[in-house]
Amino acid sequence: MNNNLKKINIYAIYLGAIILILPLIAFFINAFSFRWFYPQVIPKELSLQAWVRLKLIPKPGQRTFEGFIELWASNPTVIKALLNSLSIGFLVTIVSIIIALPAARVLGLLNFRFKKLIIFIMVSPTILPPIAFVLGLNINFISWGFSGNYFGVCLVHLVPIMPYVVLTMTGIFANYNPDFEHQARTLGANKTRTFLLITLPAIAPGMVVAALFAFLVSWSQYLLTFLIGAGKVMTLPLLVFSTASSGNPALTAAISIIFIFPAILILFFTSKFVSGESGATSGFGKI
Amino acid sequence: MKIKLKFLTLTFISLFFSKLVFAETAPGFNSWDDVVKAADGGQVNVYMWGGSDAINGFVDDFYGVPLKEKYNITLNRVPLKGTVDAVNQVLSEKEAGVTGDNGNIDLIWINGENFWTLKQANLLYGPFAAGLPNSEFVAWDNPAVNLDFGRPVEGMESPWSSAQFHFMYDSARNNYDDMPRSYAELSNWIAENPGRFTYIRPGKGGFVGTRFVKQIFFELSGGHAQWVGPFNQELYDKWAPEVWKLLNSWEKDLWRSGETYPKDNAEMHSLFANGEVDLDFTQSPRGAGPTNTAGTTPPTSRAFAFYENMIGDFNYWAIPYNAPNKAAALVYANLVLEPELQAAQVQPANGFCCGWGISTAKVTDAAGKAAIAEAQNNLGDAAEDQDILAKALVSDIAAEYQDLIEADWEANVLLK
Amino acid sequence: MGGERLKIILSLTPPLLIIFTLFFGGIFYGFLQSLGYQPAIGKYEINFSAYYNVMFSERYAKLFWSGLGLNLWVSFASTFLAAVFALFGALAIRKTFFAKTICNFIYSLNLPMPHLVVAVGIIFVFSQSGLLARLASQIGLIGSPGDFPVLVKDKYGLGIILAYIWKEAAFFFIILMSVLQSLGENFEELAQSLGANRWQRFRYVILPLVMPNLFSASIIVFAFSFGAYEVPALLGVIYPQMLPVMAFEFFLNPDLNARSEGMALSIIIAIIVMILVVFYFWLTQAKIRKD
Repeated sequence: MNNNLKKINIYAIYLGAIILILPLIAFFINAFSFRWFYPQVIPKELSLQAWVRLKLIPKPGQRTFEGFIELWASNPTVIKALLNSLSIGFLVTIVSIIIALPAARVLGLLNFRFKKLIIFIMVSPTILPPIAFVLGLNINFISWGFSGNYFGVCLVHLVPIMPYVVLTMTGIFANYNPDFEHQARTLGANKTRTFLLITLPAIAPGMVVAALFAFLVSWSQYLLTFLIGAGKVMTLPLLVFSTASSGNPALTAAISIIFIFPAILILFFTSKFVSGESGATSGFGKI
Repeated sequence: MKIKLKFLTLTFISLFFSKLVFAETAPGFNSWDDVVKAADGGQVNVYMWGGSDAINGFVDDFYGVPLKEKYNITLNRVPLKGTVDAVNQVLSEKEAGVTGDNGNIDLIWINGENFWTLKQANLLYGPFAAGLPNSEFVAWDNPAVNLDFGRPVEGMESPWSSAQFHFMYDSARNNYDDMPRSYAELSNWIAENPGRFTYIRPGKGGFVGTRFVKQIFFELSGGHAQWVGPFNQELYDKWAPEVWKLLNSWEKDLWRSGETYPKDNAEMHSLFANGEVDLDFTQSPRGAGPTNTAGTTPPTSRAFAFYENMIGDFNYWAIPYNAPNKAAALVYANLVLEPELQAAQVQPANGFCCGWGISTAKVTDAAGKAAIAEAQNNLGDAAEDQDILAKALVSDIAAEYQDLIEADWEANVLLK
Repeated sequence: MGGERLKIILSLTPPLLIIFTLFFGGIFYGFLQSLGYQPAIGKYEINFSAYYNVMFSERYAKLFWSGLGLNLWVSFASTFLAAVFALFGALAIRKTFFAKTICNFIYSLNLPMPHLVVAVGIIFVFSQSGLLARLASQIGLIGSPGDFPVLVKDKYGLGIILAYIWKEAAFFFIILMSVLQSLGENFEELAQSLGANRWQRFRYVILPLVMPNLFSASIIVFAFSFGAYEVPALLGVIYPQMLPVMAFEFFLNPDLNARSEGMALSIIIAIIVMILVVFYFWLTQAKIRKD
């Protein structure tokens, strides 16, 4: 191959990476500056005021160990939202995988009538917009008492998550050989042992990807949480949205950093499964 | 005849008593102690427009802390894009048949047409306002307080603070003396400074923009007085075309040639702070004080007002019919009227910086008086001359105009 | 056989139950309300006036049709461009070079980034007073913010498209990387040894191999960008307005009658997405078979 062309390619990749990282740079500058207005590129005033306002860092003079503990113990909104987002995300991820596991196995390994139709129904929430079902669901949730509470929000998060989990895990089971399970059973292993020792290791990489997708979909959910949670279940997306429209860029940037940090951390630990040869994402080729 | 008379007397007596009960405590409670006791250990879900970072911070710090420490109530502030979101939630709950104490919202920061929507549909708890101990500081005899957009309040909401529309400019870029003082002068200013002005789109979340347009009606029609009172379709139809004509004549000289408009005050502040436009709107009697403190406008920002037709009003707290924590809501509505907290809210350094919700003359205790006197000395230098503001002050008009102006602006200016 | 059938039914019931009760139940109830059936405010008659109002009434027609045009443009443009960027990124990045792992990570970085944060980031970087405008003013390219091109909150939806490209390119990228890595370079080498040039290798070897995954991913991206609310709500202008934003504003109107219109509009959005996806499906299946 032409060497110059190769070089241009690589420079293009570097340029792309720099452009992709620009918003992150802007978040960090904004979050630690004060009155960072046009045309300043480098902020004139550095400040922790956004973090003080969010009650994550104590006011100057109280920045001792006790000061931090006392502040964080006062249950600031950001921490409440962070904990809500995390716990809802983990909970719905686990529940959705438990629900989807048997279904994905059946869809991946067996052939039966209406299979295509059932897959189509399962993935329909990724195709039809959330606004089409949540507006109608809202009134019903209010009258069933699911509105404005944690449980209702978890329940509604399952809807957009289900397709990703079912699809990813169906992709895994399609490449899975169940013969090993039979062998283990004939050698005397019981059902639980067979699952733990044979099935689970084989599907684990795909499950990690499914869990990643599930968690991220829940993590960034705004509309469903806003409507079903009636504003009472505060999560980070709600906080970002309302802050972004309240005109303090430093504050918005600080919350955004809190919002992306856990997600990036999770990507970091799962990245080898995501882009590896696990074939998990190839489930998307099977819609 | 006799029976009828007796019946009448009974009615009067019961009316008298019920009136008396109103004045003493809010419905469902026997005494204020009863309220405080019922609220102890609970929480209060406060739904309020979250579009001002400065106000949000004030509520968390100045109300959240005493609520917890004095009354053992946890404040749960729910930021909204517009007050109408909360109104909508209450309507949905009504539609779904949620009654008693089973709703989600305890308090709504409200006024104008949102208040009227809920009051008309019987979706408010009350009357409770006169039952608050601090109600004694409220100037209930003032029509600006007991009427909200021309509609009687009747104790269904309790005042918090006051506001008045006017403008901000950056003293580093412009001179106070060059600022326009009427819409006629503003027209010239826009023509001389193309691209340097825009206004907030009248509509959801943009009530400040609606107010800006409303005031044009007053100036073009030759005065505010004729607009007071019930809604008058004829009067509106007479002047609306003139207003749209004026706004359309500005269009080519507006920011981005009027192709789009900022949606809310936050977006407007950002345009102003980054030098994309030269004028900004403020609702605070302290002018640029609160945004300068928050660092969302340049520290050199100052305020100016037109000499006439600057709309001012009070804003209130209302409690929905199905509020889950009515007692805590009452404690909150009472707390915000404490003279010391009122004195805190008018000072730019504290962020919120709206006007008084109480009549300062009614405060008699020494501590309250001292706090008020102290506050008066701390109003900051980013405010317009208080006499100019007072002279330009006019009341807001019937709630029907609000929707009409928003819909017609869209049809005649935006989509034209 | 009977046991297997029972197993199939039992396994499939829980996820189907969730999707039927919550998802299709919600759509059905929304559909009822869009027909004006609102028992709570004493409306029982059924009619299509909300649909008519949204699409053809004097007040909303202009908003609706301009919104639909914007929706189509934004969804097609962002899906296509995101796929193209991801494809070239994935092809280029397979080769080894300095700091490859870091670049790989950066290119996947936007996958976990919530759409809302990406939208905020786009404002920070691309607005007329954003980071790029400031850099431009430092080097003297522009004088005032007004000289910088309008890329965010513009009437062509450029900011929205930018945000979707930002976000969805990472989604495409990850899916493509997993396919390309599992293929290895054997196919290409074979083709090269047979004398295929760069373009031919791309067109006749790589493209057909990644196409199935690219197509299904693009359906998801297209449908998502057509019906999502957050990004256009933050990055859009007030006119023209994307349909999901318009639908949600209807719903937030305190006048309960406007809810029928909001529901009607969201049902219309769902139907349009459905039609487009089926059409797209039919088109691509035919194309894949032909290849």
